Amino acid sequence: MVCGTAGNKQQQREINMSKESQMRAAINQKLIEMGERERLKELLRAKLIECGWRDQLKALCKEVIKEKGIENVTVEDLVAGVTPKGRALVPDSVKKELLQRIRAFLAQHST
Amino acid sequence: MKMEDVSLSSMDNSKMEGFAQEILSDLVEDACLGLCFEVHRAVKQGYFFMDDTDQESMKDFEIVDQPGVDIFGQVYNQWKNKECVCPNCSRSIAASRFAPHLEKCLGMGRNSSRIANRRIASGNNTNKSESDQEDNDDVNDNDWSYGAEKKAKKRKSDKVFLHSLKQPVLSNPNSPRRSKSMKHKND
Repeated sequence: MVCGTAGNKQQQREINMSKESQMRAAINQKLIEMGERERLKELLRAKLIECGWRDQLKALCKEVIKEKGIENVTVEDLVAGVTPKGRALVPDSVKKELLQRIRAFLAQHST
Repeated sequence: MKMEDVSLSSMDNSKMEGFAQEILSDLVEDACLGLCFEVHRAVKQGYFFMDDTDQESMKDFEIVDQPGVDIFGQVYNQWKNKECVCPNCSRSIAASRFAPHLEKCLGMGRNSSRIANRRIASGNNTNKSESDQEDNDDVNDNDWSYGAEKKAKKRKSDKVFLHSLKQPVLSNPNSPRRSKSMKHKND
């Protein structure tokens, strides 16, 4: 790792970036270790079922299955066919609520 | 470089926001993948299409969404204004008042026995010999002291407690209570 003693802008940027990625890694680790990631996953799952997202995606899966045939459909087929729409179909309210919780966690644990 | 050297300044607000979005994105992706795996397993194990039937049957049982009708298509307030004829006293009673009226009319049910008891209790002062006999009958037939209930002041908690106990006795067709009330009705 290069020590930023000189006024080299490029080097300084690289150092900042690695600081940042270190920090991200540390926060991610905390997220998992404290069980918060599991809780967030459960919260998201519950919200998505509530708002009907899960049923919508199941219907999309049905289409993929009918297209490829029951015998031949693979996990990759489903993932490729369904995930991009799945991301887009998440309601804004659900996104907002989860972002709030994530931001709160980051604010609490980022130092 | 230790972790303690890293300060918040290296992560300003927009970067934090970006990081939060990234975490959300990961979580959503997890959810999608989870669903895909579940569906795939269901397909391969053969239970994915289990809740579907042919199109016709599905149409028959579709959820109904009309006003004045429940989700099965049945009218749910059609008995509101109907009147029924009581088989006992041949009066025309409103449907919502029918059950309580029957209770009193036939002399069955909690309330009518309570009223009958009260009548007996007040009839105690004038008609002593009759009530004594009733006392003996009940002492023989019931496990707990029926006399104590009559003599004690009718506090609400007692009433509720005792009558919840009495419930099984009431459903017994051989219970003395029914015949007793009938006896009084004809007096």
